[in-house]
Amino acid sequence: MMGRGAGGGRGASSGSGADASIGGVAPAVDGGEAVAPAVAPAVAPAVEFVGVSFAYPDGTQALDGVNLRIEPGERVAIVGQNGSGKSTLVRHLNGLLRPTAGRVLLDGRDIRDVHVAKLAALVGLAFQNPDRQLFGGRVAAELEFGPRNLGVRGSELAECVKSALAAVGLQDEAETNPYDMGYSRRKLLAIASVLAMRTPILILDEPTTGQDARGVARVRGVVRATVAAGRTAIAVSHDMRFVAECFGRVVVMRGGRVVLDGTPGEVFAERHWSELQAAHLEPPLPAVVGARLGLGSTPTDAALVERLKSNA
Amino acid sequence: MDSRPGDPIDGVPDYVTRRSTGFYRALNPATKLAVAALEVVAVFIVPGWPGPGAVFVALAVTALASRTTRALILIGLAASPLVISIMVVNLFLVPGAADPIFRLGPLAPTVTGLGVGLLTSARLLVFSSAVALAYVTTPVDDLLADMSRRGLGRRGVFVVGAAVQMVPRTLERAGEIMDAQRARGMDTEGHIWRRARGLVPLAGPMVFGALTEVEERTMALEARAFTAPGRQTLLRVPADTGLDRLLRWLAALALVAIVALRVSGRIG
Ligand SMILES: Nc1ncnc2c1ncn2[C@@H]1O[C@H](COP(=O)(O)OP(=O)(O)OP(=O)(O)O)[C@@H](O)[C@H]1O
Ligand SMILES: [Mg+2]
Repeated sequence: MMGRGAGGGRGASSGSGADASIGGVAPAVDGGEAVAPAVAPAVAPAVEFVGVSFAYPDGTQALDGVNLRIEPGERVAIVGQNGSGKSTLVRHLNGLLRPTAGRVLLDGRDIRDVHVAKLAALVGLAFQNPDRQLFGGRVAAELEFGPRNLGVRGSELAECVKSALAAVGLQDEAETNPYDMGYSRRKLLAIASVLAMRTPILILDEPTTGQDARGVARVRGVVRATVAAGRTAIAVSHDMRFVAECFGRVVVMRGGRVVLDGTPGEVFAERHWSELQAAHLEPPLPAVVGARLGLGSTPTDAALVERLKSNA
Repeated sequence: MDSRPGDPIDGVPDYVTRRSTGFYRALNPATKLAVAALEVVAVFIVPGWPGPGAVFVALAVTALASRTTRALILIGLAASPLVISIMVVNLFLVPGAADPIFRLGPLAPTVTGLGVGLLTSARLLVFSSAVALAYVTTPVDDLLADMSRRGLGRRGVFVVGAAVQMVPRTLERAGEIMDAQRARGMDTEGHIWRRARGLVPLAGPMVFGALTEVEERTMALEARAFTAPGRQTLLRVPADTGLDRLLRWLAALALVAIVALRVSGRIG
């Protein structure tokens, strides 16, 4: 539903994976005024933070030497208490913030000189607060904004909009005014408006806050479909159940540093609980139950049930 | 209860009742407003350089002593586009000026224009610094508490508070909205008309956000008994000393004197 055609998507000549450029962004880096941002590659670029530190103008040290590498097609959840630097970190990926020290690399290339508008073709970021993002008078117009900026037109644009709406279950709302929708659906709309850009890297900042079970299921579907299409999915979240069930890798942040990094099974294992507690995080319930029953690390319901069955 | 204003109150955290301290900062908000009003009037009513000159000296001394120089310089820099355009317009376009500094084709900057431009710029900068100094040395809480102590109704206080706090909030919100659109590929680095077009996506969330915020704030206030009858207890009471009263009287007298001199034609 959300896959890019194997033919490589948007019509213009595509920078293949072998290309040394960052997903075809290179012409713009070289100073030429690119008419439309080039096509994003079918394979997501690898993401790398090298010793990244960042201080806000008021002096707040939000990141403190982050080293992190994310491979193409990974699904990574970033967790940590309020103010630990999660949002700040992901904003470095599309150039909204630039490191005060260290480097951010996409496919090995420093993105320091790449404009935000160009990076937008590679990295889609749905913001924490949908009210700061939505502006269209119609849902459809809202969804067209991103892909249009990337040079998508005509039937391809319509297809982007349609599939993104379907992905979050808003297919019947194309003509609705976003301001007439409740918070949870505006949030889904904000996610869809980024999905419509079909970027090889998708970042969702707190996608499940305010969502009921059905909304959470939609978000899970989005994450799953994203990685199924060979793209990278990164989510910032406080929802440990969502994190454990939906992501292959969990990165725990505290005070602007990465303090834990591993599979949900590793990160939520009992031996890390004190570290989690220090980061004001609670392991998901099945992990706690599993540990109490001496079953080892069982971060999800499914893992717990399986362990119980095999032990019975 | 026997406590005096500004004393610690049981169960109320220290930062609520703590008073502002430090040179100029410790003055009552009303005093700082009176001084700022005098400065603004002096800048615009006293003809020629003495007005902005004198106020500049007063501001410089106060800013140094209250350690606000940096903030004022930043505000001055923010006004620089305006200053530049004032200079350009006056240099070339002051009507009736016939004393060109040099001629380059149709361009003929004049001495008169230079003078007018410099004076206008100085007035603008000193005026904004005077207002800014009062702003940066006065926590909004102090201003509001003082107004309500002086009998301005709660609704009045709410309106003033909302208006004063609107500025930084609006700037912050505009920045974030701009970021959200840039993240979706909006080009803010291209041609002028492109950038202008880029402003459209800002308008909706700005207005909508501001409206919902005010609505939510109003409801939050209702929920905390904002409209309950009876007098409110002020937890934070800015000091108002003899020095404050003296300064306010002096500022008022000076203000009246300047206006009187000007109206009677003794200056200017
Ligand atoms: N615009 C800003 N100016 C100054 N400081 C900021 C700004 N934005 C965030 N901060 C500070 O930077 C630190 C990291 O903030 P960040 O928003 O990245 O945290 P977070 O992990 O996303 O938190 P949350 O879970 O609340 O979203 C915090 O101390 C925060 O107060
Ligand atoms: Mg955040």
